[in-house]
Amino acid sequence: MLKIDHLSKRYKDTLAVDDLDFEVKPGVVTGFLGPNGSGKSTTMRVILGLDHPTKGRATINGKKYADIKSPLREVGALLDAKAVHPGRSARNHLRALAVSNKIALSRVDEVLEFAGIASVAHKKVGGFSLGMSQRLGIAGALLGDPGVLLFDEPVNGLDPEGIRWIRDFFRSLAKEGRTVFVSSHLMSEMAVSADQIIVIGRGRFITQGSVDELTTTAQGTVFVRSSDPSSLAALLVRNDGVVLQNAESGLTIGALTSDQIGTLAHFAGITIFELTPQRASLEDVFMNLTAESVEYGSASPEMMHREH
Amino acid sequence: MGVLVFIVLTLGLGALITVAVRSHWHETSPVNRLTFDPVSTSLAGTIFAQFAVGVIGVLLISSEYSSGSIRTTLAAVPNRMRLAVSKLIVLTASIFIISEIVCFIAFSMGQAIFSGVVPTDSLSSGAVLRSVIFAGVYLTLLAVFGFALGLILRHSAACISVFTSLLLVLPIIVLFLPQSWQNTITRYEPSALGRAMMSTTPPAQLFAAWTALVVLAIYVAVALGVGIALLQRRDA
Repeated sequence: MLKIDHLSKRYKDTLAVDDLDFEVKPGVVTGFLGPNGSGKSTTMRVILGLDHPTKGRATINGKKYADIKSPLREVGALLDAKAVHPGRSARNHLRALAVSNKIALSRVDEVLEFAGIASVAHKKVGGFSLGMSQRLGIAGALLGDPGVLLFDEPVNGLDPEGIRWIRDFFRSLAKEGRTVFVSSHLMSEMAVSADQIIVIGRGRFITQGSVDELTTTAQGTVFVRSSDPSSLAALLVRNDGVVLQNAESGLTIGALTSDQIGTLAHFAGITIFELTPQRASLEDVFMNLTAESVEYGSASPEMMHREH
Repeated sequence: MGVLVFIVLTLGLGALITVAVRSHWHETSPVNRLTFDPVSTSLAGTIFAQFAVGVIGVLLISSEYSSGSIRTTLAAVPNRMRLAVSKLIVLTASIFIISEIVCFIAFSMGQAIFSGVVPTDSLSSGAVLRSVIFAGVYLTLLAVFGFALGLILRHSAACISVFTSLLLVLPIIVLFLPQSWQNTITRYEPSALGRAMMSTTPPAQLFAAWTALVVLAIYVAVALGVGIALLQRRDA
């Protein structure tokens, strides 16, 4: 199990991580979601003892990473796929890691095979594509057969086949009872690959929950087509509804459930043709949650226009 | 690769210089003949080799920072003291063995080239044996110094500039100082310490060979101490 305990990390004048406090439990895939620059990688680096925390600590099975004797046998991590000696072959890179942590050398060929890079094992890592480097990083993370696995933006650079493969792979690792912690800035990716999601923004904890929890707590909208849209819109507004969109095709209503809308329409004698609850996507939830904490936001297209 | 350059430089330049000395011996002045040191002349290649070993020491750690592999390394070995000591042992042992072999070969080759024309020295003399052994020790200490610089500065180019400056530029700057200052400072220059260590009878303005070894060892120990302390404290 992985525990982040009131962790803060300051780099000169930027507070990259601000009092993060959460646990990552074994047996499920936990997504670590946040916009670029929100402190995900910093948190990962502190977990691995690469950076020293300013306050608080990160522990793995109760121990700090630096205090674990053969850490690769307890924690496997893929932080930066390109963080390898470019002149070494993939096999020699893994052999060096294995020797440093007293891992049987026979594991090297096993993980090379598993990651799908056995055929390029003798090639120099410097010439690897990002996707191949990711696979090598995954092989390295698995080398010590660890119970805790950390992956920082693992789908970057993978082709669709690789992405599908890595999703199934995370699930199977979690099913074996391992702790799987995966960071991403892509909510669509997390929605399909993670069971639990921790959302951060600007280094701060925002929310935590399963994908279902996050999407159901968020207000959904209801799409409604009726015989008299203008009267219905007025009626719903009188009853605390919000008209989000009034299009020819129909109304998009917020703050009311489909049951409430149907009942109100019934008593007002308006015929309903279609009444569709629209669940908020994880993407909507994420955008709402992190809207204020986006470090590198881009201007909206309208704003660009105004300047011309 | 670096090791190969180191061997070729020491032996190749040693051979070139000794051959040149032999062929021009007839025009060497009597004073120069009197002060001629066949030992340090045969080891002249070390002047070039010292940069090769320094770069090897620097790159042992700085290349980890330039490629980013330091993060993988530290994830595998989070005990930074252990990492530094392991690298140090590998560096010291390998450079010491190679340096000693190369210095003994350079010495023997030089004496063989000199023999018959130029005066020669033999390893049966204690001072000669000490000079040749110390030549290897000097190179080893410089390699460790390069490693310490690598730990402190982490950028290969910066480390190599500083290393070269200390060995080459520092003596030139000292030359601009008043003579009385020069007399006290020169002996503390790393390159002067090396000269003292490698000559059978170091000139009066330099330290005695053993003192020079101790002074150089102190430099290296201090740099290494700072380097390891920074490795422990800094973020990778």
